[in-house]
Formats: sequence, C-alpha cells, structure tokens
Amino acid sequence: MASRNHGRNHKNDDNHLNGDSSFSHVPKKPKLGTFITDSEIQSEFAHHDPAVARINNGSFGCCPASVISAQQKWQLKNLRQPDHFYFNELRKGILHSRTLIREIINADQVDEISIVDNATTATAIVLQQTAWAFQEGKFQNGDVVVMLHYAYGSVKKSMEAYVTRAGGKVIEVQLPFPVNSNEEIISEFRRALERGRAGGSRVRLAVIDHVTSMPSVVIPVRDLVKICREEGVDQVFVDAAHAIGCIDVDVKEIGADFYTSNLHKWFFCPPSIAFLYSRKSPRCSELHHPVVSHEYGNGLAVESAWIGTRDYSSQLVVPEVLEFVSRFEGGIEGIKSRNHEAVVEMGRMLATAWGTHLGTPPDMCASMIMVGLPACLGISSDSDAMNLRAHLRDVFGVEVPIYYRPPKDGEIGVVTGYARISYQVYNRADDYYKFRDAINQLVRNKVTCALLSN
Amino acid sequence: MASNGHSNHVHGQEDQNHTNGSAVSHMPKKLKLSSPPSSPFITDSEIESEFSHHDPAVARLNNGAFGCCPASVISAQQQWHLKYLSQPDSFFFNHLQNGILQSRTIIKELVNAEHLDEISFVDNASTAATIVFQQVAWAFGEGKFQKGDVAIMLHYAYGAVKKSIEAYVVRSGGEIIQVHLPFPVSSDQEIITEFRRALERGKADGKRVRLAVIDHVTSMPSVVIPVKELVRICREENVEQVFVDAAHAIGCTHVDMKEIGADFYASNLHKWFFCPPSIAFLYCRRSPKSCDLHHPVVSHEYGKGLAKECSWIGTRDYSPQLIVPAVLRFVNRFEGGIEGIKKRNHDAVVEMGEMLAQAWGTHLGTPPHMCASLIMVGLPASLGITCDSDAIKLRTHLRDHFGIEVPIYYRTPRDGEVGSVTGYARISHQVYNKVDDYYKFRDAINQLVRDAFTCALLSD
Repeated sequence: MASRNHGRNHKNDDNHLNGDSSFSHVPKKPKLGTFITDSEIQSEFAHHDPAVARINNGSFGCCPASVISAQQKWQLKNLRQPDHFYFNELRKGILHSRTLIREIINADQVDEISIVDNATTATAIVLQQTAWAFQEGKFQNGDVVVMLHYAYGSVKKSMEAYVTRAGGKVIEVQLPFPVNSNEEIISEFRRALERGRAGGSRVRLAVIDHVTSMPSVVIPVRDLVKICREEGVDQVFVDAAHAIGCIDVDVKEIGADFYTSNLHKWFFCPPSIAFLYSRKSPRCSELHHPVVSHEYGNGLAVESAWIGTRDYSSQLVVPEVLEFVSRFEGGIEGIKSRNHEAVVEMGRMLATAWGTHLGTPPDMCASMIMVGLPACLGISSDSDAMNLRAHLRDVFGVEVPIYYRPPKDGEIGVVTGYARISYQVYNRADDYYKFRDAINQLVRNKVTCALLSN
Repeated sequence: MASNGHSNHVHGQEDQNHTNGSAVSHMPKKLKLSSPPSSPFITDSEIESEFSHHDPAVARLNNGAFGCCPASVISAQQQWHLKYLSQPDSFFFNHLQNGILQSRTIIKELVNAEHLDEISFVDNASTAATIVFQQVAWAFGEGKFQKGDVAIMLHYAYGAVKKSIEAYVVRSGGEIIQVHLPFPVSSDQEIITEFRRALERGKADGKRVRLAVIDHVTSMPSVVIPVKELVRICREENVEQVFVDAAHAIGCTHVDMKEIGADFYASNLHKWFFCPPSIAFLYCRRSPKSCDLHHPVVSHEYGKGLAKECSWIGTRDYSPQLIVPAVLRFVNRFEGGIEGIKKRNHDAVVEMGEMLAQAWGTHLGTPPHMCASLIMVGLPASLGITCDSDAIKLRTHLRDHFGIEVPIYYRTPRDGEVGSVTGYARISHQVYNKVDDYYKFRDAINQLVRDAFTCALLSD
C-alpha cells in the first residue's frame, strides 16, 4: 500500500492527496509559483460539515469558499442596482462564462454553448424538441428513442413526459453490472439499436450517458456515437451530468449532436450551472428553452441567458472557478488524474477490507467507483439501500450512496449492494477509513437491512 | 393628500421622509396579532439599514421591474445556502421539502387559497406562464382542443408572455385575439367593454375560447385591471380556462384567490414581497384541469402533482423558496404588516405622481384607483419621445447622467393628435423610497426641458 495512506497517523499536510506534498505521481515541475497547500484546501472547504465523511461528491458536488464569495459579490452587485446589472453586466458575464466553457470542451463556436440550470433542464430542452417533432409530423408515431437502462431516473421520467407522451417508443439498452469491458456495453448497444430498427422503425434519438449515475460506469461514448452515425440514428444526445472536471470532455472528438454536463458536480461551481452544447448542423432542429422570454427565437444560448428575473450568479463565476483550479498542480487535469488514482486506491482498500470487489475495472471509472458491500448486510431491495444509506448518515456520519443490484437467476449469496464512493480535492484517507470501519462494525454486530427497516 | 406624505414635504430630510416609517402614521393603530403590542415598529433608520446595499447614488424609482430584498432576508437566504453547502445530501433528504412546505403554507394563507396543493413555487411568472401554456399545447396536440380554437390576451400583456403564447399556443394551432385597451384610461368600464368585444370576436363563427390570459396589474403601461369582473365574464361566456398573470400583485394590490376565481394565478414574490430573486407562486385551482399541469423541467417527482414536481427540478439553489418565513417576520415589523405597506405605498405613489404631473404640466395615465404602488406620469411633450427606442434611450440617459432609474413608456399618438404626451414614466414606491428620489426626477426632467433637450439629440 502506498506510503501516503499512513498519513492518517500524522495530523499534517499528507492527508490531502491533491496537496503539494509528496503524493503526486505526476512528475514535479519546478515550483515557480506555489500551488495550493493542504491547509488552504481545508480552509476553502471549512464550511463542509466536519463530522461527516463526505464521500458523495458525485451527487451534489462542492464549491470552495473563494467561489462562494465571488458568487455573493455578483449577487450583491445585482441587488445594488438591478436595472444597471441587467442592461450592462449580465449578458457580458454570461458570455464570458460561455467562452471559457467553449475552450475547455473544445467546441467550435461559442453559439454552440448555452448555460442552463442543470442536466435535467438540458434534457427537457432536447426532449421537448423531440416531442414537437412528433407533434408536427416530422417524426412518426412509433419512431424510436434509445436510452441506457442505467439512465438517470429523472431522464427516464423526461422520456415519459415528452417522448412517450408524444408517440415515441422508448427502447432501453440493458447493461451488465458488474461490467468488465467496453465491449460488453458496445454489444448491448448494437443489440438495442437493432431492436429499434426492427420492422422498419426509425431511430430518431439516442440518449447516452457519459458516466452513468447508479451504478457509476464510464461509457465508451465515442464508440457508441460512431455506431449511431453508422446506423443512421438521427440525433445523439450525451447526458454527461458528471463529466466536466471528472473525465476528459472533447465534444468534437465525441461527435454528439447535443452534450450536457453539470459544472456544480466536479467543476467547483455553486448550485447550479450546466452547459448544453448543441452542434451547429442542419440535422438539429431549433432548440428552445422551455421557459420562454423576450429572447425567444434568438437562439438557445441567448434565450437561456434570460429566462425572466432570477439569480444568475452561479452562471457568472466560471472565471473565478478557473482561478481556483489553476492553483492546483496540473490544473483541472491534475485534479482529475489525482482524483482518479485516489478513488481507485480507496476503492481497492475497501474491497480488500470487506472481502468484496470493485464493480468496474479502474479504466471504466473516473473519480467515482463502485465498491461491493458485504453480502451479509442483506441488501435485498432499493429501499434497503436507502435505509442503509440513511443509517450510515445518521449513526456513523458517513455520506455515501448505495446501489442495489438485483441478483441474476441462480445467483446465491452474491454481492447485491455497492457503495458509490467519490474522491474530490477535499477528501482525506480518513473519510474512507471511517466508512471501512462503519461497515466492519455493522458486519461484526450482524446488522442486516431487514433489522434496519424495523 | 395622505397625511403621511404631507409631513414628508414639510420636513425634508429626517425620519418623516419614509412614508412607511413609524413616526408619522395617522392610520388608526390596530392591534397587530403578529407582533406584541409592546414592540416598536421598524424605524426609518432601520429601514435604511435594511436597504443600505442599494446604490445610494441612484434614485431607485423602479421597484416594479426587479423588486428589492432587505438585508435581513438576504442574510436568512445565505444561511440556508450555507446549510445546504455544508451537507447537501442531508439537506436534500431532511430539510428541503419541509422548508418549501412552510413557505407554501404561508402563501396559501396570504392569498386565501382553499388547499395547500393549489400553491406551487416556480422561479417567476414567466415560468408559470410556460407551465400553463405547455398544457394548452398538449391539449391541441392530443386533440382535446381543435386547430383554430382561441386564446385571448390583453394587448398590454407582458412581452415575454406574448412570446410564450407564440411558442406554445400559436405553434400548436391556437389563434390569438388581443384585447385592445385604451391608455390613458379613466375607468374600469373602458376595459370591461373592450374585453367583452374581444370575447365576441373570439366566439365568432362558432369558435371555442379555450383560454383567457388576463394581467392583474399590467406592466407597461401599468394599470390595475378589474380581474374579478373579467373572470366573471369569462365564466358567463364559457371560456374554458382563465389564467391571471399577476406578476406584480402580491404585496402590491389585493390578492384573493377565492374572490378572483381564476383557474390559474401567478405572482412574483421578489417584486413586491421582499423575497430575493427569484420566487413566484403559481396557484392552480383544484379541478380535473389542474392535473394536466407539469413543470417543463421533468425530474423524479413527475406525475405527483405540480407542487411536488416544482419542489425538485434537479440540483439547484432553492434558497429563495425557503425564506418566506423570514420575509413575513420582516413585513410584520411594519405597522399594519403587508396591508399597511401596500396602503402607504399606494398613497405615496399617487402623491408623488400628482406632484410630478403638476411640476411638469402633464397628467397621470390612470386615476388613482386604477393603480396600486406604481403609477404612470406623463412626461413633457417637448422631450419629443417618438418611438420605443426613444423611450429606452431617455431611460438610459436618466440613469447615466442623472442617477435616476425609471422605466419610460412610449404611447403612440392616435390619429389627429398633435403635441400630446407620448411618453410616460412608470414610478414605483416601496418602503425604501424617499421623497428626495422623486424630487431628483422632477428636477432632472425640468432641467432637460430647460435645456431644450429632445430624444432626437440622443445618439443610437
């Protein structure tokens, strides 16, 4: 085990794997400026509840104090003289954020980048367009939309609300979990596309996660988009809620028509802000923000920049976030790389401690990984998983989402529960030891989910 | 002239400057159930302190556009925000829904809705309009409404609402009829007559009027519309759904859901109800129709009723929806609470409007009873406001050169009118305003007139 894990005995800098001490496997560049120190990182996240081992960055993300402070400055600027803010500052600020995002994700034009609240909103935008296409006769009743079985719950609801309701047929790609290789995913995807095209149906849209939520797996999106093009799928939408700041994002390389990612998950923005990339192409009908305002018809980016009076401050702090990440060695790339290594290491530590296994190989995870929980905990349903999660929060001060994986036919005594652990710059090895010890204690005390639900 | 106002003129600069402060109230002192008799009402210097974040160099006469938020509410909001950031999962599972429920309960009481489920929170009236119109679009799409069925709206409906109707109703096959309203206007009857006329046009040739969209307080020009009457007429004439766009109403004019009787009613709480940006309520009267409403941003709670859907539309900052209790505490520091504030704002804005009209030799755009806490004041014709862009340029000029923030409305002259007033300023009055704000405006316009200024002189 790498020496840095012994850091828990030392109340010192070494606990933060992203700090400027001796952990980084990235070759050290000569220090011209100083990188952020561990105590500065602690200070930036001092508002996090210290009693909680916060290993769920994947759900709600995090925001450093210096960015919160920048956000409050923008808020006060607006409250001070809102008319002036509206006429003279707001649009400039949003354009600046969009410009920075364009560079980060390698989009061609800034018009292709719109800022919205979250991936859920981006999904509504894309699917509403699909619903209009059915309603206006561009698509026919029964035309198909393909999505992953592990698509996020709210995306499934959005499919129901817009696609199914408008006459579309939704086909789900069954994915194995645990999963061992990209090839397993690619085969299932091809199979689903075939089902979609059976009987001469058209596949109008494929919705593909970049990093699924539960269970969390990095999907080979580039390959899947390529297959979609080969198979004549009209439009491809990549739901990359987690991606930016977590995994590599190059929208030209990925080649989708639409791509969305939340900046408040892994890119240190306050809640909430996401970008929706919409490739300039004749294939794509006009997207509109569902909340219609004065700017209707001026392009999605302009529409999204004004959807009525509200607090746009979270969309204005991208410059300050870039300043924050540049204080880390290697910037966001360095952070991503160290997060990945750390989460794999912590995942293996836990799997070893519990005698279980990881849900994916390291190359199919980014800064989150699925770790099997001891079978004796008896996780036998989604609600067991929820109860166990609440128990860990309330009794042990550990925040981590639990996934229930139904056993396949014939499987007995298998692992049916996986914890999705995240790693972000504020995490310490102690957080994962706390989790390890909590589970070990539950096992020692023969606690089962059946007991918890009583 | 309201006695509160009078003392403001006489004693230029002191406590009495705030018509909402404690010192000069001539209103009968009712015993307020919500604050103990022994506690003093908020003082003028406390009010100043609550709004000390406002730019002191600006005469802020435009509360109608973006509203205002006192420091104590901003502080409450920041506390909620930090609570969330401190442990978001626990916040999501244990605190958020309760907090939203508490806020909704207060609003339900305030607006006299029958059931709590009738009250949902959304970002703003624009979002509420989307929700109502999207439902109409589905009705056309699913054959419930027929192509050519009619939706009626006021000609003075807010620009964003007009776009929304285009995006949803026209796009899905509906026909729009606009109610032309006179301005300046002198009586409710003028509005009622035009509304009836539009309804007749709507029902001509056997068409069905599926939706009426009626403003409670129009934006530009600002007029209080007799909504109760118009809703009654809609019921008589079998209009299927009535949506009242009351963006300004709560905290500004009388708001009573049962009395008004609309199917849907939306009002922003960040305009006149001291909430931070942004939060609005959308009231949906319990009926078979109300099941069809959905928030356009679909999340886990889809299908569980609009209020539940609205309470979770993905990760975002819900803190503006959580501070309604803090706002209630704030308004109850004023004598008469929100009712007292409304009344004093109304009296003050009428007084200031009359003062300006007299100083400029113009007139008010509506009689006092057709305004709430905003009023339209004619600008001297010599300023030569001849189009919408003149109005915007003049507004910018007032902001940049005189430190005055006030929206200007361009009113197209009718055939034959010569030398008439074509520009109106929409002045607002809120608790932070002082008479000096209006004197500053008065003097700025007088100076422009003296200098023979016209809008033609302003460059593009």
